[in-house]
Amino acid sequence: MQKTPELEETPKRENGFHKKFKDIDQWWLLVAIVVLLIILLVTTKPDPYNRILKFVGDGIWVTLYTTLISFALVLVLGLFGGLGRTSHNKIIRGIASVYVEVVRGVPLLVQLIIWYFAFPAMVKDLGHAWNIQAFIDYKANPIVMAILGMTVCYAAYMSEVYRAGIESIPKGQMEAARSLGMTYFQAMGHVILPQAIRVILPPIGNEFVTLLKDSSLVSVVAVADLTRRGREFMAANFIPIQTWMMVALLYLVMTLVAARVVKWLEKHSRYER
Amino acid sequence: MQTDTIIQIENVHKHFGKVHALRGIDLNVGRGEVIVIIGPSGSGKSTLLRCINRLEEFDQGSIVVDGIPLDSAENINAVRTEVGMVFQQFNLFPHLSVLDNITLAQRIIRKRDKKEAHEIAMELLHKVGIPDKADCYPLQLSGGQQQRVAIARALAMNPKIMLFDEPTSALDPEMIQEVLDVMLALAKEGMTMVVVSHEMGFARAAADRAILMDDGLIVEQATPNVLFSQPKEERTKAFLSKVLS
Repeated sequence: MQKTPELEETPKRENGFHKKFKDIDQWWLLVAIVVLLIILLVTTKPDPYNRILKFVGDGIWVTLYTTLISFALVLVLGLFGGLGRTSHNKIIRGIASVYVEVVRGVPLLVQLIIWYFAFPAMVKDLGHAWNIQAFIDYKANPIVMAILGMTVCYAAYMSEVYRAGIESIPKGQMEAARSLGMTYFQAMGHVILPQAIRVILPPIGNEFVTLLKDSSLVSVVAVADLTRRGREFMAANFIPIQTWMMVALLYLVMTLVAARVVKWLEKHSRYER
Repeated sequence: MQTDTIIQIENVHKHFGKVHALRGIDLNVGRGEVIVIIGPSGSGKSTLLRCINRLEEFDQGSIVVDGIPLDSAENINAVRTEVGMVFQQFNLFPHLSVLDNITLAQRIIRKRDKKEAHEIAMELLHKVGIPDKADCYPLQLSGGQQQRVAIARALAMNPKIMLFDEPTSALDPEMIQEVLDVMLALAKEGMTMVVVSHEMGFARAAADRAILMDDGLIVEQATPNVLFSQPKEERTKAFLSKVLS
């Protein structure tokens, strides 16, 4: 594109510091403010804020690792869903579509309850019916069921994200790859997905942030995550304002950092044009 | 030339829904022959080309490429590695550099190591006249340069046949000749080529045979000079009068 003459006459003076500051994503400032606020609260008023932080601390890790493990599984399972949704094979496409439509239509909270309460009961019933002792003794692990529930649910959403990404790549790309002799999977892996991932990085990041927040729902199925630990602290001490302010700030730090990381990834994955 | 047939097309039919796009095509292409297919849009010429490497499935008839019938998945992939294709929209891989565009398939299909693939790619970039663009990305290049990279990418697989689907139709007028020059050089080297194009100058200079298609059928075929100057069929005359005027 041609530059307008006015722009060329007034070159912007960008010396070292100014330019470096502009290169930094300025939303990190908000992250810093929230972190500072937490530090300020904990140091100036250790009672109750430091007590809250110590009590819910292990819940932060539970929230983080259930979210991260689920999300890693969601990325894989969602890819299969997305490939299924874009498949030319009617049966594969049908299975993938039914999965997506059914799972998307049931609230995550209900799905988590099904996985933790209804699913083990079903296994037990089957155990009695078929006389299998292992099934009768089956006891659901809350963390495993929570991760399973979140994964199955979010993989359905992610399938649609992948589908949109794959469909956004012009048909000619697949044709060019296939005409060079690549198989469908080689073409997907080397040509289509590397381009599609760049397109869908923002919605993928969005899914991650949403999953991080929705992970608070696992608190109802006996997982001691940040939210559940907050509720336990409140039940014991009954200082709801301080407790939930602290819990909210902790969630905020995590989601804001995640959003910044996604932004950074997006910036560094663009290809030159 | 006709004794050694490399592409054998027999009674090929193709439907798109209710549209009967190919209505019984018979065509033999000899090894080393250059064929130019012309015809109005919707006449089925691109569809026929895409059937040769099975980017388009046909409903009836048979196509045999270099002794391999296009019937099973393995055979289709085998044929595709022997047949290079150049598209109207170039279809370069925008996330890969020019060099990687040309080496990718060599490495994963032909199993060449990085150094060998690289050397072949640079050789071909010299051939198409843009070795200095090796590290550029496709979208930094002009249309003519992109199309030349696309030709180099196809040639890197050492195809026996090259298919060109309107290779200059998406180009600005001043870039058409640089692409045609590359194609002309390729024809002189003895490459078997099937070209869908309305570039009459190229057809006269390079083609052994020109074919006019209309409404899913081959209407007339002859050497380019004969077909363009003394067409027999009314439909050929009508089409040429529109294109040449």
